[in-house]
Amino acid sequence: MIPPIVLHGLIYGGVAAIALLTLTAWGIWFERKFAGRMQSRLGPTMVGWAGLLQPLADVLKLLQKEDLVPAQADRTLYLLSPPLTVFFTLATVAVIPFGVDVAVANLPIGVPWILAFSGLMVFPVWTAGWASANKYALLGAMRAVAQGISYEIPMLLTALVPVIFAGSMNVNEIVRWQAEHHWIALWPPGPGLFAFVIFFLSCLAEANRIPFDIPEAESELVAGVTTEYSGMRFGLFYLAEYLHTLVASAVASALFFGGWNGIFGLPDGIHWMLAKTLTLFFLITWIRWSLLRFRADQLMRICWTYLVPASLALVMISALWVHYAPQLGPMWGG
Amino acid sequence: MSTANTVLLVVSALLALGGAVGTIAAARPLRAALALLVNIVALAGVFLSLHAQFLAMVQLIVYAGAVVVLFVFVIMMVGATGKVPRSPRGLATKTVSLVVMSVVSLVLVFGVAYVSMPAAHLPHGYGTVEGLGAVLFTQAAVPFELVSITLLVAVVGALAVARGRTPKEAAEARARRAAEGLEADARLAEERRISAEVSAHGGH
Repeated sequence: MIPPIVLHGLIYGGVAAIALLTLTAWGIWFERKFAGRMQSRLGPTMVGWAGLLQPLADVLKLLQKEDLVPAQADRTLYLLSPPLTVFFTLATVAVIPFGVDVAVANLPIGVPWILAFSGLMVFPVWTAGWASANKYALLGAMRAVAQGISYEIPMLLTALVPVIFAGSMNVNEIVRWQAEHHWIALWPPGPGLFAFVIFFLSCLAEANRIPFDIPEAESELVAGVTTEYSGMRFGLFYLAEYLHTLVASAVASALFFGGWNGIFGLPDGIHWMLAKTLTLFFLITWIRWSLLRFRADQLMRICWTYLVPASLALVMISALWVHYAPQLGPMWGG
Repeated sequence: MSTANTVLLVVSALLALGGAVGTIAAARPLRAALALLVNIVALAGVFLSLHAQFLAMVQLIVYAGAVVVLFVFVIMMVGATGKVPRSPRGLATKTVSLVVMSVVSLVLVFGVAYVSMPAAHLPHGYGTVEGLGAVLFTQAAVPFELVSITLLVAVVGALAVARGRTPKEAAEARARRAAEGLEADARLAEERRISAEVSAHGGH
């Protein structure tokens, strides 16, 4: 007999994973359309109405391609890395509350869970780069790992700001607190919004998205870590990148923008979470097709000399606010 | 302990053992680092099964996310392709170490199994963030702060060792070297003059 909690996890987890993967597939479609429009092109048009079936065609194409393994490669690690990237990204989803109290697992340690798994994300990238036995892949992996562990620090610190305000590490409790009080990004003026910006930038860096996609800068590194991968294994990396972006948008909207909480007193629910997540996803796409990438050393300087001190200051300001704001009167406290 | 917990404990413990063996047995350094990662993640699973949730996550963030990554970086910097040669030690050494390690492990196992522990009475909120925080900032505040200061000293030390010269220091070092060079030139000229004088007077 399967215990109910395991059953709950299996069903909710399965539904969430399938829904997110579907959303990701059409997220890729959206991005290609959007990029096309920004560059005065049409984007995919041939498969289905407005190219809507393009993701399916892409998956079919990738599945048919030969699954190459370089002769010098460390075979086990090479084959294991792509599925692991998707696994670690999906593991984060477990604690995100999509609807009112609807999450795969309502863990009291939700925020550390998210941070732990996004920290583990660097390993499959690194093993992929190393196991490929390719200069470009290895260089890409080193850049990705350096970037990942650097940007993890401001991400970790700014994720503490909502924790301090809500007084809980349970993501659902944080959203609930925001529904009862106010969205953390909006009030108090300053720390919440800045924390969101830094968290968002760090997420972009963790997901290797422009302007932080130096690990796969094609003009320098061919395709970075994915250079040697073909077929569906490359597809998994590609999928993981978009999935990561989507999950990061979901986490940011839960932590800073009240997740499933509706605006103007409209009923709460999963539609708000979706709307907020997709808005942030749109923002990321917009950034990607508008900006250039940073140089590797600029990337590190931005993180260590600006983002880390700023996020430390934000944590302190938030703690002071929580401690002293109630004394300022009901208007200020929260 | 519920069934699910027991399953988690057993699986994590076996994985941790496998990872530990892999860490010392792997021929390639990077494989060893990866086995260490498996060991650390599995230990986080053990912590989870023992109700230490926050500790499990910290284990993942700090040990897996930072310490192992550091190892990986060092290995990649000094060259990742090499293999560790097979141990040249003889059969006698291997037998002795095997016996010693078996005895130690057996003593540990029986010690844990037979020494009666006081019945584990978990206080309310044990292993949660609140519980851990309350202990850290009341009973263990001084050691906690001391540990942070130790870490700070280590960071400052590492920075002092790793940072390059400032422009001013570099200029000073250049000036010092130039001065030393001038001195050496002067000494050399003096010796040449003396030897020329000596040979001008028909040698010794």
